[in-house]
Amino acid sequence: MRILVAMSGGVDSSVVAALLKEQGHEVIGVTMKLWEGPEGEMPETGCCTASDSEDARKVASKLDIPYYVLDYTESFSKNVVDNFIDMYAQGLTPNPCVECNRSVKFDHFLNQAKKLNCEKVATGHYAKIIKNENFYELHKADYLDKDQSYVLHMLKSDDLENILFPLGEITKPEVRQIAARLGLKTAFKKDSQDICFVGKKDYRSFVEKRIDLTSAGEIFDVNGNKVGNHNGIHEFTVGQRKGLPGGQATPRYVTKINVQNKNVIIGEQKDLLVGSFIIEDVSIVKDIEYDNLTVQTRYNSEDLNCKINKISDNELLVELREPASSIAPGQFGVLFSGTKVIGGGRISSKLMESAS
Amino acid sequence: MKNKDYLYLDHAASTPMRKAAITEYVNAESFGFANSSGGHKLSRDSKNLLEDSREKIASLLDVAPGEIIFTSGGTEADNWTIKSLFTSTKLDENLVTSNIEHEAVLASAEWVSSLGHKVNYAKSNNEGLVEEDEFLDHVNEKTIVASLMWGNNETGVIQPISQISKALKSANESTLFHSDVVQGIISENINFHNSGIESAAISAHKIGGPKGVGAMFINNKYKLPSFFHGGKQELERRAGTVDVPGIASFAAALEEQQNKFDDEVGMMKEEREIFEDKLKNSLEVVIVGDSIDRLPHISNIQFADINSEVLLIELDLNGLGVSRGSACASGAQKPSHVLEAMNVDEKFINNHLRFSFGWSNQKGDGSKAADIVIKAVQGMK
Repeated sequence: MRILVAMSGGVDSSVVAALLKEQGHEVIGVTMKLWEGPEGEMPETGCCTASDSEDARKVASKLDIPYYVLDYTESFSKNVVDNFIDMYAQGLTPNPCVECNRSVKFDHFLNQAKKLNCEKVATGHYAKIIKNENFYELHKADYLDKDQSYVLHMLKSDDLENILFPLGEITKPEVRQIAARLGLKTAFKKDSQDICFVGKKDYRSFVEKRIDLTSAGEIFDVNGNKVGNHNGIHEFTVGQRKGLPGGQATPRYVTKINVQNKNVIIGEQKDLLVGSFIIEDVSIVKDIEYDNLTVQTRYNSEDLNCKINKISDNELLVELREPASSIAPGQFGVLFSGTKVIGGGRISSKLMESAS
Repeated sequence: MKNKDYLYLDHAASTPMRKAAITEYVNAESFGFANSSGGHKLSRDSKNLLEDSREKIASLLDVAPGEIIFTSGGTEADNWTIKSLFTSTKLDENLVTSNIEHEAVLASAEWVSSLGHKVNYAKSNNEGLVEEDEFLDHVNEKTIVASLMWGNNETGVIQPISQISKALKSANESTLFHSDVVQGIISENINFHNSGIESAAISAHKIGGPKGVGAMFINNKYKLPSFFHGGKQELERRAGTVDVPGIASFAAALEEQQNKFDDEVGMMKEEREIFEDKLKNSLEVVIVGDSIDRLPHISNIQFADINSEVLLIELDLNGLGVSRGSACASGAQKPSHVLEAMNVDEKFINNHLRFSFGWSNQKGDGSKAADIVIKAVQGMK
């Protein structure tokens, strides 16, 4: 069949293209150009740099498949970068990779694949799609170290029907072995970890360049005593330990950011513990389920046992069995039943009940 | 698909070299490989070949040999004329050009502007035409260079060069009138002197010559300051060892192109007509500049409800090579500044493709291309 493969220039998607070609499919490679700076500059590291699309082109040439660069910069800038800045302005901790998958990548990509009469699209994500009767389920990858089902939770059964994740059942070392066997240039390329449009720079300077967030505020402890001043709330995320006033007997963490009065509250680790929270903008893969659920509150974080209560079609209350401390408004709460993704939504800053 | 089965309709971007040009290149490289500025026999051979080529090209273009300066291509010639007369000391002098020029002109104009000079951009109308009055409105006594392309590289729309050059001279006798004729020369009989062009950019690879070679026509009454500094090559105006084999090959390409002009351009015109008629009959399309004068080799088509980024890929997969706007380094395609200048509705600006015919096409290509396009568009609905 004809398959459109998203090639970032990394080893994972290179191997996906190679495997599908080996299986006899008609493979078309595409790099999504997501970001360029105001002066047209490309990021230096990450998944959408000029040198990465060059790597993708070389791999496509080696595999003898047609290859194109598609321009998604406008949509990316609007949906991901503006949102990223806006979230920091609101004292939230954004997850641009999820936003990108939610509102840019898959949407455009599936749409263009359909127009090109491709039966499927494929990416180098580590996740599994399992057909269950007439529906498609999203599962964690077998290789849990790299599992990316968290950032893919917004894909619905109807989307999954048209998607292939060929790396769902193999390990990263195996992927590198395949790349090496095929002589792909990207076999030993380092994994990208950075936010693609920020690169190695500090995200704070990226945000500061684009929006004035310098309105200063005050820092309080959980009992309401003032312990210092700060230069802008975008310098803080919930759970942050660095850059806080020192001189305390035990480590201090940001526990809350108050956007209205610009106050930052800090406390001890126990003050970070959260017993329940709300997720909003909820997206469900197929049907909502209530039994034996766990939740991940950050990419590839620990699975926390939980139960859920429906507040509305868009909002769920997540109650943790044991309070946990890794919950930052703006990140996503993704619900699993075993390895199966049920759905997820953005962690709301309202009604976050502390456990203590 | 083998390249020989691939249908190529992107001649506005580049053309294959003519056999005569390849043969001439190979001969010239063995006969005239030496540095044409040297003092020995082999250098003299090379120098003779260079000057013979200059004479041949000048005669084909009906200009004086001293009015042809060889360059690396059209971009260099545009840069040279536009930039070299502006200095950072006479900031009251200005440049007039249009907002549908090739990037080589627009980016040079931006550079002139960055020095502190005023750059006045004449606006295209909705059909892609820069009207005479609009252009002249921007010219004043401090305009030292005015630049307007012969035919637009994206739409093919032919600009009123002769009228504008005449009126320009009445407005300001001392303004140098430059024209980028890189596309125009492919399919129009251009006489520089008769049409009032005083400087022009010409590219060899658009007419079946080698890439990396071109020429600037510059009227004898001007002597532009050097743009590349170094030795005294190219009539003491352009430093750098001269690419004699490339130039000889350029001359051979131009000779064949001019000799076969009527047949070749007639074929392009006919094939384009068949192509456009077929599309009009089967699809919802708008042909840019349909009712005005266009270069016979270019067809810019707006497809209703079809994103051209995807259509371009579908056509490529089906063996038809065309293009959209101008390509950036990574190959991603952006909305065209020419269509933006024409105030094309935002809804349709990403629905355009450029099909460009050329000397390497043959009878039947227009029909064949139309069939591929129609099938692709219908499959995308």
